[in-house]
Amino acid sequence: ANGANLGLDEEIEVAPKRRPVAKLDEARLLSPAGIPKLRKTAKTKLNFKGKGHEYSDAMRLLNFYQLWLDDLYPRAKFADGLAMIEKLGHSKRIQIMRKEWIDEGKPRSYARE
Amino acid sequence: MESEKAQPVQVVDPEVRAYIYSLVTALGGTGSSDTGKYALGDDALACLRDIKKWLKFYDEKANRMDVARCLAEANLVNRDLIPILMLWGDAVQSDKHKSRIALACLELLVPLTWPLEIHSQMTVNHHRHTLYLQHSQVLYKRGILGNDTTAILRTIIRIALPSMTTPRSDRSSRDEGILKLMLYLFRNLAIITPAPHLATEGDEEEASKSATINAFQQQDVFALLLTMCSNMGDDFNFQDVVILEILFHLVKGVDIKKLFMDNTQRSAAGTHELQNVLELESHQKREQSKTAPTRHGRFGTMIWVKRDDEKVSTVSGQDVLKDDWTTMLKMDKTKKWNKPKRRGGDVDLSVNNFNMSTPLTSSATEHLRIFVEEFLDSGFNPLFTHIRKAIERETDRVTESTPRQFFYVIAWFLEAERVRRARQQELRRQNKNSTREIEPDSFQLVAGVLNQETFISLNRHMQNCLDFKDWQDLNASMRCFTQILLTVQEMFHSNIGDDQDIAENILSRIFYEETTHDRVLAILRGYKDQGFFYLDACTELAHVFLRLLEQYSKQNEHMQIRSRRRARRKDRKEAARSLDTADPLNGDESEGEDLAFSEAERTIVERSFDFQRFAAKFCTQKSVNTFLAFTAYYRELNEEQLKRAHRFFYRVAFKQELSVLLFRVDIISLFYRMIKGPGGLDSGKSMYAEWEELTRRIIRKLVKKIGERPELITEMLFSKINATVYYLEYGHEKQTMSES
Repeated sequence: ANGANLGLDEEIEVAPKRRPVAKLDEARLLSPAGIPKLRKTAKTKLNFKGKGHEYSDAMRLLNFYQLWLDDLYPRAKFADGLAMIEKLGHSKRIQIMRKEWIDEGKPRSYARE
Repeated sequence: MESEKAQPVQVVDPEVRAYIYSLVTALGGTGSSDTGKYALGDDALACLRDIKKWLKFYDEKANRMDVARCLAEANLVNRDLIPILMLWGDAVQSDKHKSRIALACLELLVPLTWPLEIHSQMTVNHHRHTLYLQHSQVLYKRGILGNDTTAILRTIIRIALPSMTTPRSDRSSRDEGILKLMLYLFRNLAIITPAPHLATEGDEEEASKSATINAFQQQDVFALLLTMCSNMGDDFNFQDVVILEILFHLVKGVDIKKLFMDNTQRSAAGTHELQNVLELESHQKREQSKTAPTRHGRFGTMIWVKRDDEKVSTVSGQDVLKDDWTTMLKMDKTKKWNKPKRRGGDVDLSVNNFNMSTPLTSSATEHLRIFVEEFLDSGFNPLFTHIRKAIERETDRVTESTPRQFFYVIAWFLEAERVRRARQQELRRQNKNSTREIEPDSFQLVAGVLNQETFISLNRHMQNCLDFKDWQDLNASMRCFTQILLTVQEMFHSNIGDDQDIAENILSRIFYEETTHDRVLAILRGYKDQGFFYLDACTELAHVFLRLLEQYSKQNEHMQIRSRRRARRKDRKEAARSLDTADPLNGDESEGEDLAFSEAERTIVERSFDFQRFAAKFCTQKSVNTFLAFTAYYRELNEEQLKRAHRFFYRVAFKQELSVLLFRVDIISLFYRMIKGPGGLDSGKSMYAEWEELTRRIIRKLVKKIGERPELITEMLFSKINATVYYLEYGHEKQTMSES
């Protein structure tokens, strides 16, 4: 009988929480679908024709990036997504990673300097 | 008005309205005479003074606009003041009573036409009345300018004439006041423009800038202004700032090139413009028809885009069949979400905004040109020298907007002078048969703003604007600096030996200060959302500055500049006290001051100037971003602007060997879009070919680079870090590791 007074039987209304919006952040960018995938697929996907085919090469390159970005973060338009990634590039963590990626490509003797 | 009264809500206190209306009625009217002439009331002068008191002690004191509103509703200006001024014909010049009445009318006209602005300290009353009053001011202006029987402006000049002819030493404060009133009325007329969102009954043209210019010409206001300008400092002293304001509002937004064309050229230019617009339209149509569906809207094509991992995306519409690029664009276009954007570039709504261009009728153009030429010949130097001194002294009449107007007007007239010279040369070339040798003109006419004092105050102003983020003011001073540089350059190539020497001297002074170089760089790099016109001004300044500096440093191999560096820490504490007195921008210190300076926080060293180093500082990621923001407007840019951007990117990629800075996906995508569309540059234009070539070369370089250094694939996404730029470009580290 006391339970009614304490309000135990009354239903508690829980406001439905908004589903969090997926963000394009450092974690997503460094996840397997992010830059690692970009690095891996670039070798196989991009075959440029070289001199005389500049514009078709550029189109191939842009399309390559667009598809990659669409897979990584389908929500944003191409230009918006690029701007967001560019901004992320200023963060310390990404900068360190970028340095590493570059050093990997360096010939050994230079990397040690 | 009747409907106004019937409204239950009173906009104005009814008692106030009753008082005002009775005063207006007592002033006089046309009704009582048979001739239809205006008959003054018995106590007209006292009525006028009472109205003035109402304006002063009710409106001004209580910060309301009620009286002004009532006067606007009673249409005092058009129904009473103008007819009264018309009564004061030539015959009754000596009538003391009537001249007093005329003056009282002027005293009312000035506050009633005073510009109304939206500002932060507005009360409910202001919001209620401002729009109505703005609208009625346009009607006032039309009444004053468009009177066909009497020249009202000339009448007003006549009111002030006795005060003007009195020598300055004998002038009383009342005389000065009258002069001020007259000039303020002209200024108000120059400012009032029909608001774009308000419908005006009747012809809008009657209150336009063209109408103002025509009236100023026909009713001798221009002649008056010229007289005052050329005697500035002798007979006139306190009028400089108001005259500057008048000039500013007359010339802002006027296209100088069109001003100095003759009629046939102008109409040709008009036709050319029309042709350009039509071409642009047909270009757009062609673009559109390229991608337009060839079948009806429900034809229902759908394609799959194969992706990795057996995934597919679907895109519908026939246009996507054309090529991958269109398909991708379409895929992108169908996305709903947009990255939230900051509002870019706050729009300056004040009357001091000079970025709106205003077209003029051909007669107004002609009149303004005559005035501009006469002004350059006689009034330019005295006026601007005088105002510069006033600004430096910070006299009371100098307002917040004076520096902006000052630098804008200087820039405008310097450009006008250059265009005029070009036109004169053109004319001389055409009339070669006149055997008479014509003296080449010297630049003496504009020398008043090409002296060291002006440079100092310009530099100081620019630095202040930059520090306090007054972007519009900075814009005006950047334009001024650009025009000074261009003028000096032209002077350098003049036929007169003296002019060449002076130009040489000026250039050496401008380029001697390293702070100036740094400032130009800081402005260019610091662009962030200040809007298109700011972008235009800062890229132009950077372009002109760099080009001139390049020329100059080539001619003077051992060029020295004065740079300031930080002293050691020990000196700094001692110097802290003496620092306040030292003016860091003063250009001509004596040796004694130099000694004091060496103890100050920064030491001054002379060092030889290295253009390559400067150009390298100029080509950084931030300046690339600024120029990129500028280029993004490529559809609206004219040939000269496109060229400016082209030269910059060319310099970055091929002169400085820093093409790595351009290897970013958004940049490549923009360049690609400019050439290949949709909405690209018109391939018929000459700039198209140059851009096409540039883009092609950049892409070729990029493709080669990706082959050499696959890590560029990731770096394409980001702005490069200083430490890696060099490696990406050359494949090995820089020998000196100073930057990382």
